[in-house]
Amino acid sequence: MTEQLSALADNEIELADAEHLLASMQANSPAAEAWSRYHLIGDVMRGTPTLSADFKANLMAKIDMEPTVLAPNAAWLKSAAKADGNASKSGGQQIAWSMAASFAAVLVVGFMVLQAQVADPSLNANVAAVEAGIPTNAEFIPAEYLTAHQSSAPSSTSYYIQPASYPN
Amino acid sequence: MLFKRFLSLVALMILSVSGQAGSTDQWQTLQKMAVAAHVLNYQGIFVCQTGAQSKSVEIKHIYNGHDEFARNVVLDGSPREVLNQSGDVVIYNPKNEKIVIEKRRGQNMFPAILPTDLDSIKANYTLKAGEIERVADRQAQILFLESKDNLRYSYKFWVDSEYGLLLKSVMLNNRNEALDSMAFTQLTLIKSMELDWFKPKIDGKKAYVMEDVNTIADKQDSPHWRLKGLPEGFVKVDQMMRAVKGKTWPVTHLIFSDGLASVSLFIEPLENGIKPRNGRSLVGNTSFYANVAGNLQITVVGEVPEVTVAKIANAVVFVK
Repeated sequence: MTEQLSALADNEIELADAEHLLASMQANSPAAEAWSRYHLIGDVMRGTPTLSADFKANLMAKIDMEPTVLAPNAAWLKSAAKADGNASKSGGQQIAWSMAASFAAVLVVGFMVLQAQVADPSLNANVAAVEAGIPTNAEFIPAEYLTAHQSSAPSSTSYYIQPASYPN
Repeated sequence: MLFKRFLSLVALMILSVSGQAGSTDQWQTLQKMAVAAHVLNYQGIFVCQTGAQSKSVEIKHIYNGHDEFARNVVLDGSPREVLNQSGDVVIYNPKNEKIVIEKRRGQNMFPAILPTDLDSIKANYTLKAGEIERVADRQAQILFLESKDNLRYSYKFWVDSEYGLLLKSVMLNNRNEALDSMAFTQLTLIKSMELDWFKPKIDGKKAYVMEDVNTIADKQDSPHWRLKGLPEGFVKVDQMMRAVKGKTWPVTHLIFSDGLASVSLFIEPLENGIKPRNGRSLVGNTSFYANVAGNLQITVVGEVPEVTVAKIANAVVFVK
């Protein structure tokens, strides 16, 4: 199953043949996980920006929000395949394009979420540190410590600029 | 007493300063800069910037031979006023329809960023001169104060060529990125010694309340821990106990400084049912570090590189 998902991700299986895989991805959470993992591996290999820890969750949420985009095409595939036997080249390609477009739409939404997160420099720092294996997040230290520090040991800027608020 | 020292320091400026990295002239310029902010009479507006936040501040400063008086008013957002009399600072901080009065120690306050005694600075930094640039419509000499190690941040100063006052200061990390900056946009020297301006602008409609004080001085050595292996150049400058809402035990708060930067070390017993904190973080110019030593929770916060807060945290040795 996961080999088939990998092959699908690498465009080695016709989308028209992959209908059962797509259906299983929605129903079967480990398959969905494997799908996002292959895309993550592919992205890293191609050097696209590293994904944040939330990306997979956000992508899965986006996919969950769009069942109607996939389902009609899957049903259409079934009926088209039955009607045609071996689907004609142009018809099959047409269906393949709509499937690709649906996936592309989902991935674009996922990447837009990623851009918003990448724009937050503190999250970038978190990603880098998580990758380095160091737990990091200013939120893990209660704000009282920074306030106490700025109150008893003020720095040049902290007389005028209020205690820095943590990201989020 | 501190101000008699200024006069002796002014005399010191004339004597040569030898054996430092950076020429005699440059250290003299820096010494003059450290003193000028305290002894000159000036007013102006400077911009204070850290991370994504930026505020304009109006400053007026007078030295009458005995005491120093400075009033700083934040011009953007909440109208916070910082009044400084010879190092005793009172802040009027509007908060939720009240004005909270906060008392602070005055240290490293722009443009008096440097301590007047530069010995600790000479030990930890090297100094080199840059170009002449124009700042706030005045000619300024650039000086680079570079840290000798990776334990503290470096600075770029623009020093007024005529009066020796610090016009602009940028704090830099070891990748030469600016972490914060303070710079005059306009500056004039003043002659009048009138002090009628040295008071907060009172809003009669609001209540003035003193800030809650929850600290007591405590210089005793604890039987439960000792400090070993503090980072080079940092000495303990203060120690107190803090009562914290929700905690059974008070928190010990130590402060270390190298003359320019201060770091706070918090030591408290681990509490049952509360997960111990471990980790590190960097937000803007402030580094955080937390770990556990024995049954003590250690937390360190300071405007220093991450390696320094980690070293200070690891200097706490638990004693059974």
